[in-house]
Amino acid sequence: MKNLPVILVMLVSAGVLLRMAEQQTVAQVESENTTEAEQKIAEATSRKDSSCMKCHGEADLWEGDRLRYFITENHLAKDLHWKKGIQCDDCHGGNPESMNFREAHSAEAGYRVISTPQDIPQFCGHCHSNVEYMSRYSPSPKTNQESDFWTGGHGRRLKENPEAGVANCVSCHGFHGILPIDDQTSPTYPKNVAKTCATCHSDAEKMAGIDYHGRPIGHDQYELWSTSVHASLLMEKGDLSAPTCNDCHGNHGAVAPDVNSVASACATCHVKIGELFNSASMKHRFEQASLPGCATCHGKHDIHQPTDDLLGLDMGAVCASCHLDGKFGATLAGSMEAKMMGERLKELKERIASSEAKVEHAEQLGMEVRRAKFRLHDAHTALNNARVAIHSFAQEPMKETIEKGLSVTQEVDEQAEAALREHTFRRIWLALFLVPIAMAVVLLILFIQTQPPPTIQNLEH
Amino acid sequence: MSHEVDEYNSKDEPKETSGGMDHSPSDDSSDWRRTKRVYAYCADRLGLDLLVDLGQKKLVPIHRTTPFYYLGGMALFLVIVMFGTGVLLALHYKPSADRAFDSVQSIMTDVQFGWLIRSVHAWGAALLIAVLILHLLTTYMMRAYRRPREYTWVTGCFLLGLFMAFGFSGYLLPWNQLAFFATRVGTAIVGVVPVVGEELLIWARNGEDVTGDTLARFHSLHVSIFPLIALVLLGAHLFLVQKHGMSVPDAAAKAAGGKNRVPSIPFVPDFLLRDAVGWYLAIALLALLSAIFPWELGEQADPFGSAPEGIKPEWYFMFMFQALKLIPAHVFGLEGEMLGVMFFGFCGLIVLLVPFLDWGQRSRQVLNGLAIISLIFAIVMTIWGYLA
Repeated sequence: MKNLPVILVMLVSAGVLLRMAEQQTVAQVESENTTEAEQKIAEATSRKDSSCMKCHGEADLWEGDRLRYFITENHLAKDLHWKKGIQCDDCHGGNPESMNFREAHSAEAGYRVISTPQDIPQFCGHCHSNVEYMSRYSPSPKTNQESDFWTGGHGRRLKENPEAGVANCVSCHGFHGILPIDDQTSPTYPKNVAKTCATCHSDAEKMAGIDYHGRPIGHDQYELWSTSVHASLLMEKGDLSAPTCNDCHGNHGAVAPDVNSVASACATCHVKIGELFNSASMKHRFEQASLPGCATCHGKHDIHQPTDDLLGLDMGAVCASCHLDGKFGATLAGSMEAKMMGERLKELKERIASSEAKVEHAEQLGMEVRRAKFRLHDAHTALNNARVAIHSFAQEPMKETIEKGLSVTQEVDEQAEAALREHTFRRIWLALFLVPIAMAVVLLILFIQTQPPPTIQNLEH
Repeated sequence: MSHEVDEYNSKDEPKETSGGMDHSPSDDSSDWRRTKRVYAYCADRLGLDLLVDLGQKKLVPIHRTTPFYYLGGMALFLVIVMFGTGVLLALHYKPSADRAFDSVQSIMTDVQFGWLIRSVHAWGAALLIAVLILHLLTTYMMRAYRRPREYTWVTGCFLLGLFMAFGFSGYLLPWNQLAFFATRVGTAIVGVVPVVGEELLIWARNGEDVTGDTLARFHSLHVSIFPLIALVLLGAHLFLVQKHGMSVPDAAAKAAGGKNRVPSIPFVPDFLLRDAVGWYLAIALLALLSAIFPWELGEQADPFGSAPEGIKPEWYFMFMFQALKLIPAHVFGLEGEMLGVMFFGFCGLIVLLVPFLDWGQRSRQVLNGLAIISLIFAIVMTIWGYLA
């Protein structure tokens, strides 16, 4: 027993050592797993012996037209590539260790020449089309930008005419100061995309004479889009999921949607409406008449918040523009269908307004109508669903949601009316409660009057 | 055992005829004889004689300020209403952040007369504090705190503080937006108490911020800890009131030519009947308020939502809330809010120690001056708080 403290100390020490060893093993395993990607980047950033800046960073060497070759680290400070350790020769090739101009820029040293804008996509694609290389930065990298570009409107025109001034990679992304798309100052940040496109597409001179599928491309897209509900959502409400140019036209392979594929572009976000439209017989009529799907009624770039007035045959209703005149083979039966749909929608709206008024009245009287108010959301949902169902161009799907909405308003009405009845009941209850109390008080007072008057007694008792 | 029987036969049996049941108009009826037997059975075992004696001997002096005596009875009645309605609410209330609001909503809509119980409980709380404040002021004005009633005053002050704490803890329980943010502001004030503020804040909130844990803490305080303390304090207060009898103001004693020359009425039934009139009126007022102005439920608390406009505490905290808002951030290099809290703490201490500070004409004048200034200050601040 004399050795007990020694044994205890040894046991504790052994425990501590075992714990430390265990922690070290865990740390080793973790570091092996996590630093593989970092090592690749560190490998790239370790080459600091580039001699490019020795000439290109020297201000005195460049002037006039050649000033664009004057590049310092300041120019590159915010550049996405530079920050990841990608150096001049990683993009431009050549021999960065040589101080000899010809040797440094020789084809033998792999120097990549950009002689026309046509060379730029390939120049960027050197890395961006290389899955193996790009996997250093992302486990599932996108490497289709270059191939997409050549199939898009810009790429095709560039291929046809390298000097046409068509947009290429650097037109949108810039070059020695490329920012990531989540940088708010980047030209490709969602809020800036429309303006970036507009630098060319709002230029009347640049767009003059350019056709797409036989129609002049125009230069008012940005102006129109700026007034749209989409622009309002994106620019004013800051909803970055709201569509800007690239969401409908594509990114690197940008094209204008074909007349028959407009609905598909819209359906990317408006899924349910897209489904209904695609299964509607009207879709084929639109195709036959070469009408651009959704854009026929809602417009192209200047898409405004749709109102219920668009439906029906009244002034301002889009249905009327074809069905009243029988344009594009529109029928009278179709016009009646549109009228009926408009009336059903109006009926639900009026019922909802009436239910809301009842609930509000009950609430103003101090009644608890939270559930009825909450249920009203379902009526509004039904109304919105009915508006969506319009795109089936048939009464039946719409009728179902309208019926659902009407039954909800009926339920809300019942709850509001119950609250109003309860309010009346409380008043009656109160009156019934106060009458006996008043009687009891009167009787008590009368009884107290009959009691003997106060007398002088010993209060100390 | 036989001794007990003998004692019962010899001592208790005669009491049966000399207790509280000896003034019947029809002593011979069998019903009355049966009632007397039941009373004798209970009196013997439950000590009812003590209460009957107390009722018969307790006298209430009648003078100009006698109506002030009703305030104590009114407060006691409201406390009973609060306990009763509180117990009924507890049957349906669910004290967790995700269910509290729904359960109160259910009380208001699904539970039969739940709306009435909740509204009576909420209005009753406001009325109780008002009555307690009036009771304190009138007791001060009548100087009923003088020897030997110092500790009646002290227990009364503690009871007022406790019922204010009841109000503060109960305010959060519906877990609505206004209560949530008001509690966040209210508990933050506790945090500025010197030395122990931070610990006190964490204890009160049951954590760093107001969360579901705070709700659980406030609920346990509101329904178990505070009621236990209240029963003890109330018991002590009532015992002392019975022990020392009703205090007679100097002016009334002087006008009657001596304290024992002041006319009086028996507590039972004369004063009790007058009390009952007040209680009936209180019940009627509570019913009226509950039916016409049912207590609002508001929106469910959203800890991540923005604070609603017009956060305000219960009316009886408003003067402190408004004053703390007006104090500059720093006063003489010290934190303004901390100074404010210390000032109100000091004022509370002065009120508590009033019986021990009233030792002469001069000190009484100082106390009266302070009382008038404090009252005006509280009224102005409360009005300002509601108008701001």
